[in-house]
Amino acid sequence: MIRVRFHGRGGQGMKTASRIVGTAALLDGFIAQDSPVYGAERRGAPMVASVRIAEAPIFERGVIPAPDLVVVADDTLLDDPAVQPLAGLPPTGGLLMATAHSEEEARRHTGHPGALVARDFLTLALEQVGSAAGVSAALASAACAMLGLSGPAVVAAIGTELEAIGLSPDSIRANLRLAESARAGIQRVELPVRSLAAPRAGSPVVDVAYAPPEVGTPSVTARPNTPLRRTGNWRVFRPVIDPAKCTQCWVCFVRCPEGAIELDAEENPHLDYEVCKGCLICVEECPTGAIAKVREMREWAPSEVTR
Amino acid sequence: MSRELAAYRNLKDISREEFILPGTSVCGGCGGMEALRLAAKVLGDRVVYVNAAGCFTLLAVFPYTPFRGSWLYTTMGSAPAGAQGVRDALDVLIARGKVRPEDDVQVVVVAGDGATYDMALSSTSGAIWRNLDFWYFCYDNESYGNTGAQASSATPYGARTPTTLGAERRKDLFEIWRAHRPAYLATVSPRYPVDLSRKFEKAKRFKGPKLFLAAAPCPTGWEFDPAKTLDYGRLQVETGLFPLKEAVGDGPVVHTYAPAKRRPVEEYLRGQGRFRHLFEPVKQAALIARIQEDVDRYWARVEA
Repeated sequence: MIRVRFHGRGGQGMKTASRIVGTAALLDGFIAQDSPVYGAERRGAPMVASVRIAEAPIFERGVIPAPDLVVVADDTLLDDPAVQPLAGLPPTGGLLMATAHSEEEARRHTGHPGALVARDFLTLALEQVGSAAGVSAALASAACAMLGLSGPAVVAAIGTELEAIGLSPDSIRANLRLAESARAGIQRVELPVRSLAAPRAGSPVVDVAYAPPEVGTPSVTARPNTPLRRTGNWRVFRPVIDPAKCTQCWVCFVRCPEGAIELDAEENPHLDYEVCKGCLICVEECPTGAIAKVREMREWAPSEVTR
Repeated sequence: MSRELAAYRNLKDISREEFILPGTSVCGGCGGMEALRLAAKVLGDRVVYVNAAGCFTLLAVFPYTPFRGSWLYTTMGSAPAGAQGVRDALDVLIARGKVRPEDDVQVVVVAGDGATYDMALSSTSGAIWRNLDFWYFCYDNESYGNTGAQASSATPYGARTPTTLGAERRKDLFEIWRAHRPAYLATVSPRYPVDLSRKFEKAKRFKGPKLFLAAAPCPTGWEFDPAKTLDYGRLQVETGLFPLKEAVGDGPVVHTYAPAKRRPVEEYLRGQGRFRHLFEPVKQAALIARIQEDVDRYWARVEA
């Protein structure tokens, strides 16, 4: 069995990418299972999807702890301790990631010795389909190429899955062209095929003891503490304020749903990047165009290794 | 006009203090979140939010809370009943001298349209009928947003959802609520913060049910770029689809803002994934015209 784990954010289409890979495998005659795991539809928040491909029925369930291939939808997820996309990936496994850094830099930064494909799929998607969500079809196609799934199966799978989420025929055609260029030059990777783990025999059923509501119900008695969650790791693009163009009009401050913008004594706005989710309402609403949309890129120091 | 109301004339009258802190799990660019954040700036921190299950379940996820006030979680159908319990408990504690009257807090139901239009409608009806002294904040994203934007009875005519190809007309919740003659009721939009703030400020003077229906443009469920949330919020009002209005007791409905020249509904529908089938592969001119006629008929009655 081959196990593929996808890491992305709500809205980047990694659920769809996992479905495309699963459907392509199915069309090529394999048995496939795909399942996303996320909170409740949180656009921007990190999510995981799992695909298992085998020649025999699959009884494993849930998130894949030891994947053969990891797909990372953008490199900002790489160093996030809440995500850890490379966790459990063996040195012999494959790694596919969307990044503006070079493949050499990606290899140095991740320290992954096995098969690695790192390309700027986001720019490719923006150029070819005009939407960041294009990384979905691009990464699915590249992943299928690494897995050695057939071209016709990939094309059919993309058509089926994108139609199912309501994309127009024009948009599906653009995504198919994008998928074609995304997989160009990617070779099939020989992944060590690991067999199913046998179910444990005789696992006892655990009786859960009754707890009264005052014990069994979670209560939070803390002062407001959600800023500790640092939702700044949701961003793919960051808003950057140019103080020279700012007229202290309050629009960005009032219109930020998060309350991530604070005004100082002179009424200049300041963004809290620890919590800003990168929705970019401030960029859209600023009447003087003083807020720029900048691609979120982490500095990768030469000595810094993710794992 | 009271002095408090006069305090809200432009954006710079909005409080700089935050009563709901950042870092919650709700989607980036959530229109409902912006509406609640603005409302909380007027309500302050002496509140207990009674939250029906829905998208805003994600506001307080153990062990985190964004609130400077308190928060209680209920099922989708029972938030107004929960509010009754909290209000009664406070009244009893005050009567017994266990809580000082000056330490009293306001009870605020927070519920989505799934809870409000569907499951909690009878619970709300009972609470208004009992003249419960509470606030009701409905963030209306026109679907069961938390589970993938399935149709609710607030889903507008023509919208595609995972469970319907084109929903029927949505319920007129404002009129359902108004038939109960609550102390105060209003519609608000996060794109019109001054109007929103004035209404919450005005409602403070009433004892009894104070009900708010807040437009909540939803990038995830309506399928548009999150940066455009308040653009759609503006078009929702400027097309006349979401009228900003209020009513006190059994008094007349007053429109607090009427667009001087209404934008065609097409400008609002176009660009949202849930309405894409109205434009592709062939434009459904008759369906779009029906939506426009509904709006025109509404405003013809208002202006008559």
